[in-house]
Amino acid sequence: MEENKINLPKNISAWTRPDSPRLITSKNIFDYMNGAGELYLGYHFNSLEVYEYKSKDENDILLELYFMESSDDSFGLLSLDWEGETVVFDRSTNKISNSSIVPPVRALYGKGLLRIWSGNLYVRIMAVRDTSTAKDVILQLGKMITTNRQDASPPEMLNVLSPSVAPNWKLRKDRVSYFHSHLILNSLYYLSHKNILRLNHSTEAVFASYERILNSKDRDRIHFLAIKYPDTEKAKQAIDSFHNAYLPEYKQNKPLDSPDGSTKFFKIEDGWLGYRQQNRSIAVVFECPDMESAQAIINQPRLQYLFVDFNVHNPEAKGDVKEINDKED
Amino acid sequence: MQKKQGILTRRDFIRGTVGTTLGVSLMGPKWLHSNEKKAGPSLVIIVRDQNVMDANRNINTGILKKMLDQTVITLTGKENIKDAWLSLLSPKDTIGLVPTPHLNPTHTEVVEVVQNSLMAAGIPQEKIREAQGGPDKPKACTALIPLPGLKAHWLTGIGTVLKNYILYSGNPRNYHGENNAKLGETWNLPFVKGKTKLILVDALYPLCDKGPQPDPRYKWAYNGLIAGFDPVAVEAVCLKIITEKRKALKGEPWPLSPPPLCVEAAEKVYKLGTSRMENITIKHFGWEKDLLI
Repeated sequence: MEENKINLPKNISAWTRPDSPRLITSKNIFDYMNGAGELYLGYHFNSLEVYEYKSKDENDILLELYFMESSDDSFGLLSLDWEGETVVFDRSTNKISNSSIVPPVRALYGKGLLRIWSGNLYVRIMAVRDTSTAKDVILQLGKMITTNRQDASPPEMLNVLSPSVAPNWKLRKDRVSYFHSHLILNSLYYLSHKNILRLNHSTEAVFASYERILNSKDRDRIHFLAIKYPDTEKAKQAIDSFHNAYLPEYKQNKPLDSPDGSTKFFKIEDGWLGYRQQNRSIAVVFECPDMESAQAIINQPRLQYLFVDFNVHNPEAKGDVKEINDKED
Repeated sequence: MQKKQGILTRRDFIRGTVGTTLGVSLMGPKWLHSNEKKAGPSLVIIVRDQNVMDANRNINTGILKKMLDQTVITLTGKENIKDAWLSLLSPKDTIGLVPTPHLNPTHTEVVEVVQNSLMAAGIPQEKIREAQGGPDKPKACTALIPLPGLKAHWLTGIGTVLKNYILYSGNPRNYHGENNAKLGETWNLPFVKGKTKLILVDALYPLCDKGPQPDPRYKWAYNGLIAGFDPVAVEAVCLKIITEKRKALKGEPWPLSPPPLCVEAAEKVYKLGTSRMENITIKHFGWEKDLLI
């Protein structure tokens, strides 16, 4: 757990904040933001502090500090939308590699809204009107909040993604999201109004898109989902639930209950769908133009990070995964 | 097709079998459903004015009033705004104005202009009230005028017309997640049904992404009012505008996710109106640029 005390200035430029914030917890989050509360409760949410900076001559600035249980959760919130102008507060600490499989940013600004991932803290600072004065103040506040805070790395779960998959599929870095909840999955890629993959706070999930450019106008896009469950039994139940709901006409091809896991491919209305369940993880690929593409994505070497379960069953396997990754890179 | 459990999936949207699956999955009290069918095409009016907002988004209430007049007069086919209002409402009615409180709230100027227009038509001030909130609000009214702000929504796809009565249920969380398709039933609650006299959407500064919180990057000056008597038709037109704006922003189709189940369900299960564009007559006036229809 990181330090939760953030020192904010009482006055900044023409704006002044109240002495104390409005404190929001999981019990009153719906009073504050209506259904939007489901988003934060879909991650591991601790509390929210809300400050309103007011000015006689300028429009209000709303500052929200979301204290999450882990850095992975606050990263997840930022990862739901990678669009915006990159903001770097301190070049010496902004150490996400450019070769990362997500955009190398910790803060994004757009039209009066600054969003920050800083350790276990997710920050939104928003001006009612996007003026240059308000932007300056917002960026100053962002810098004050992040100064002396420990930056963290993106979730380990992202290591399951390859930047490219042969023959010519490229990862869209700006379409990589990390989450736990099926409501959030549905906001990224709708599967069903039911929770057919049995996502919850105990699961970790990554959603991403891969593209291949066909010509100057056209491109193919496929979608990839990786989920890690607490144990193998839950992963098996989840893939069974998914198959029954999403592929009901393929009852004869349900996954085999084998120790080696199961990989299946199906031709459906929007292309080829492939899935694989092994140990406590599931990978699913959607909308592939052909079976070969589905196979390439679902068998990409880095998925060993997902399927070789070194944490629970096979502590020796970590070396094997590193070897795979070294060869690939 | 083997589809016995009534679990709606992405594939239903691709196949066009949403209505069939929804009919199975949205079992509920019969009184929440309806057998009524709307006769003839539904009329939806769009009135826009480039100058109703300035660059700082200050609203010119004089222009807004003219837009309102044109909207209600065209919709009712009356000669003037007084006759138009009085064809919908009586001075004896207790009229509830129902603005959107969250995400992309209805502009207060819109609520005030409607209130003033009603008063000018002879409706006593004490008979006009804000009626957003719990079930006691519609129970105290004999007529309702929803005034939602045009917006997408991260749990329901679109969160404009059909979602505007969600608090009347007394338990809005019942309509989050998988149950968002049931939003239409809030319009058939016994103390709501039949009271809606007009739907007037504040489309001055809509929000085209789902949120869940206000995000200025996805708001734009549409400078419009959208109105009709058929809530599903008005929602369908709103949906079309949001969909087209999203496509324009990204330069490629950018589908709402989750898809707005509630719109088709409102038509096919709750019989509140039509969502099919071929059954909707759209009349638009004023500013033509980026009409998105």
